Amino acid sequence: MSDQQLNNLIKMLDQIIANNLHHGDDDKVTDVAADHLHKFWARSMKQRIIAYASESPAELSALARSTIAKLEAAPE
Amino acid sequence: MLHYYDPRTESYQPGKNRLNPDVDYGTPVSLSEELVSISVDGRDITVPEGTSVLRAAALAGINIPKLCASDNLEAFGSCRLCAVEIEGRRGYPASCTTPVAEGMAVTTQTGKLAKLRRNIMELYISDHPLDCLTCPANGNCELQDVAGAVGLREVRYGFDGENHLDAEIDDSNPYFSFDPSKCIVCSRCVRACDEVQGTFALTIEGRGFDSKVTASQNDPFMDSECVSCGACVQACPTSTLMEKSVIDAGQPEHSVVTTCAYCGVGCSFKAEMKGDQVVRMVPYKGGEANHGHSCVKGRFAFGYATHKDRIKEPMIRETINDPWQVVSWDEALAFSAKKLKGIQAEHGRESIGGITSSRCTNEETYLVQKLVRAAFGNNNTDTCARVCHSPTGYGLKTTLGESAGTQTFDSVMKADTIVVIGANPTDAHPVFGSLMRKRLRLGAKLIVIDPRRIDVIHTPHAAEGLHLPLRPGTNVAIVNALAHVIVTEGLEDQEFIHNRCDTEAYNAWRTFIAEARNSPEAMEAVTGVAADKVREAARMYAQADNGAIYYGLGVTEHSQGSTMVMGIANLALATGNIGKEGGGVNPLRGQNNVQGSCDMGSFPHELPGYQHVSDPAVRERFQAVWGVPIDNEPGLRIPNMFDAAIAGSFKALYVQGEDIAQSDPNTQHVESALRALDCLIVQDIFLNETAKFAHVLLPGSTFLEKNGTFTNAERRINRVRKVMEPIAGLEDWEVTMALSNALGYPMHYSHPSEIMDEIASLTPTFTGVNYDKLEQLGSIQWPCNDEYPEGTPTMHTVDFPIGKGRFAITEYLASEECASRRFPLLLTTGRILSQYNVGAQTRRTSNSDWHEEDLLELHPSDAELRGVKDGDWLGISSRVGHTVLRAKLSTRMLPGVVYTTFHHPSSGANVVTTDNSDWATNCPEYKVTAVQVEKVSQPSDWQRNFVDFNKRQQALLKPTMESGEDCHATALK
Repeated sequence: MSDQQLNNLIKMLDQIIANNLHHGDDDKVTDVAADHLHKFWARSMKQRIIAYASESPAELSALARSTIAKLEAAPE
Repeated sequence: MLHYYDPRTESYQPGKNRLNPDVDYGTPVSLSEELVSISVDGRDITVPEGTSVLRAAALAGINIPKLCASDNLEAFGSCRLCAVEIEGRRGYPASCTTPVAEGMAVTTQTGKLAKLRRNIMELYISDHPLDCLTCPANGNCELQDVAGAVGLREVRYGFDGENHLDAEIDDSNPYFSFDPSKCIVCSRCVRACDEVQGTFALTIEGRGFDSKVTASQNDPFMDSECVSCGACVQACPTSTLMEKSVIDAGQPEHSVVTTCAYCGVGCSFKAEMKGDQVVRMVPYKGGEANHGHSCVKGRFAFGYATHKDRIKEPMIRETINDPWQVVSWDEALAFSAKKLKGIQAEHGRESIGGITSSRCTNEETYLVQKLVRAAFGNNNTDTCARVCHSPTGYGLKTTLGESAGTQTFDSVMKADTIVVIGANPTDAHPVFGSLMRKRLRLGAKLIVIDPRRIDVIHTPHAAEGLHLPLRPGTNVAIVNALAHVIVTEGLEDQEFIHNRCDTEAYNAWRTFIAEARNSPEAMEAVTGVAADKVREAARMYAQADNGAIYYGLGVTEHSQGSTMVMGIANLALATGNIGKEGGGVNPLRGQNNVQGSCDMGSFPHELPGYQHVSDPAVRERFQAVWGVPIDNEPGLRIPNMFDAAIAGSFKALYVQGEDIAQSDPNTQHVESALRALDCLIVQDIFLNETAKFAHVLLPGSTFLEKNGTFTNAERRINRVRKVMEPIAGLEDWEVTMALSNALGYPMHYSHPSEIMDEIASLTPTFTGVNYDKLEQLGSIQWPCNDEYPEGTPTMHTVDFPIGKGRFAITEYLASEECASRRFPLLLTTGRILSQYNVGAQTRRTSNSDWHEEDLLELHPSDAELRGVKDGDWLGISSRVGHTVLRAKLSTRMLPGVVYTTFHHPSSGANVVTTDNSDWATNCPEYKVTAVQVEKVSQPSDWQRNFVDFNKRQQALLKPTMESGEDCHATALK
């Protein structure tokens, strides 16, 4: 996977979170963001962002990491 | 009593009432609910109050001669041929201008009337060429018909007197000629231009004998304000205004009603034919979307169907540097299937995908997504709606529960305030634009929220619209400001909110929107729109009895496109403008079948009917019919496919009827993705920009060559009917079916009606749709099911599919794409009237006479700063690319904003646009690109490369086109 693809995934995730901050506390925001990824992202995109979060968690925001953790934990 | 009569249903519905769209009833319908009974030649008839005697007679089956009257125009009373006698009244009143009165007894044929009519015809014919046998209208001329009907046998005045027979023909318009020597000055053309089209380009110049029809200030039609909609040509009762195609070919001998394949209005047309040759397209009065009106595209720009550039045979090649090799259908499909299977074997099931077409039929779109899901075994299907209205799907489903507009087009005639946001209906949806202008002339108020000053703002004979010229990228800020005014000034419809909306969501939204940071005053610095204007607009919308919002890609194609759609829905919910005529939320769809392609499950996360792939119950129903397991994970969207292709994990793509290389943003990124594919299969009518990167080229069929249905922007399912054989032997649905069979997943349909039956069996909003019902009703607006067996013109009248309407919080976030010192201007893109989308069709017609190149519009003050004059070459640079266009100075935009179209591939408009996208749907942010412009003297590097690449690809195609000129592909075995 190219850096460009990964960069786009991270950018998309950050955008999703930014547009859902109005939901209030971090838990709710990341619930909504994780649900969005679950509903709209392809399997390969989910797998890549989950893999990246485990490899380089420091590169992601806390909300992004939390969202990805919830996505990973969600049942298929 | 001859017949009943219900004005509310006075439209042609076979089997339901007796109005026939092929009959001209003389004057328009009266919508009065008061009924009046009269007798005409002894026949009793009851009609609505306000109906003309002429129309009442026509409804009773009695034809009174007429020349200046037509039922799409207000009565004019100039020709006097429709004179009648009315018991108890003196003289011979014109029946077109005489309204019915209770108990009236009308006589249409007496000796005196016959003499009067003959006298009138004598006068007309004394100044008319006697060339009927060589006249293009011969056999279809109202003047000729009336002369016959009144028994004209002589012209006592002779033909040597003063006349207009030497009047010069105006041939300037590419599609019709104007021969004033044949004009009877009935004014139908002038009134059609005024009343139907709303352009007011024509007038009667002079008085008495000197009266003549002129365009603008006595200009040639082509130089005038005429927009070539064809309404005047259709209205003309002689051959004064005549299609050149009829002059060349003669009168058509049969016709087929079908649906236009240009914009999302979905006009019905009669394709008038001679054998398998389309002589002309005439807008069909029975079409519920257009009621007999048309625009320059649908009316005249159909010649592309027989253009020499059509791809006539299947072709294959191993690499994009190889010449194309003409093969049989069987070989092409076997080659494609082998490639696709081989790639999946090597790179995995998810390494391939498909793109459905918003120009193809519902049935064809359904089959492509079925092919992807059932034969490819993944959900990697997407459609061009990704780059236009995907935020509409997301935003309206979230707030209203259904991914569609809420109204009919006709609903606008009951709107009191019309809000147009990021749409340009007179250019992009012209027939609806004319209807909107008609309503504006009747007094409806208009608010336009757009960076550009679009034409509808100044509608002749209507009040000037209120224009809010916002900065590109600030839609959400302004919709929040509007909502803030509505909430804080007590303009909400509390009863509607209480009864119809989710209370918790409403309370949360209300608290948010009432915050001072959302006020017009606070947002003024963001949007650039004066706060008092925003307050005025909010009041105009909220205080109207009926407020209707119409929006287009200027709403969706933003990083907050989905948020803005939800903001619009919030406005409609807050003011109770949902579930009634005259109100609603109305997305104006760009392409003919964008609505349908979305309905048919083109998106990677949804099966047909917007049913999510992760829902096991939904999948089970599809699996039971399709006989294969369906992946429960969404697939890749178009931009994700591009990224994956560049990354090497996505290797093959089947594209039906879309030109992603020209239409998608950041062209160089798209081209890199297409070059990275091992197998690109393009099914199209031309070698489009995408096909130049393809390995398989499958000939597509135009809308004239196939059966099926399109669904327009008002959810109206309309029949598409084949009028000529597909150029390469197969309709597009047959090609997809054959590809599926070649891949080993069997598809066996013998007609698109069978595909529709399958769609209906799996899609809850389509369960009542079938071809028999479409024939019976003419068209159907979904949902059509047990609850709404004849369809649903207005949605959400009682409840929402999600129960209660859900307000959504719409926090404004500035786009990342912002102006800077390096890129100080904001570029926004759009369309113009004569061209359509990527221009593949319209560029191959005379429509290019109006727009032969894309131009960069910029404000004179920005031009002055850069020393730019009209016509100068300008280099346009953004953060992702550079292109060169000619300058056009314009005050339509504010300083700081520039504008262009993307109809010509060599313009490279999308070389400049970025791949920033909507947060929820990845819909690209075409409408906001920070750019710099400067004078240059040569094309950009990309443009030079484009010219070279195009030349090379045309050369690789040329031998096949020459050999294929007279032959067709081997029929599929």
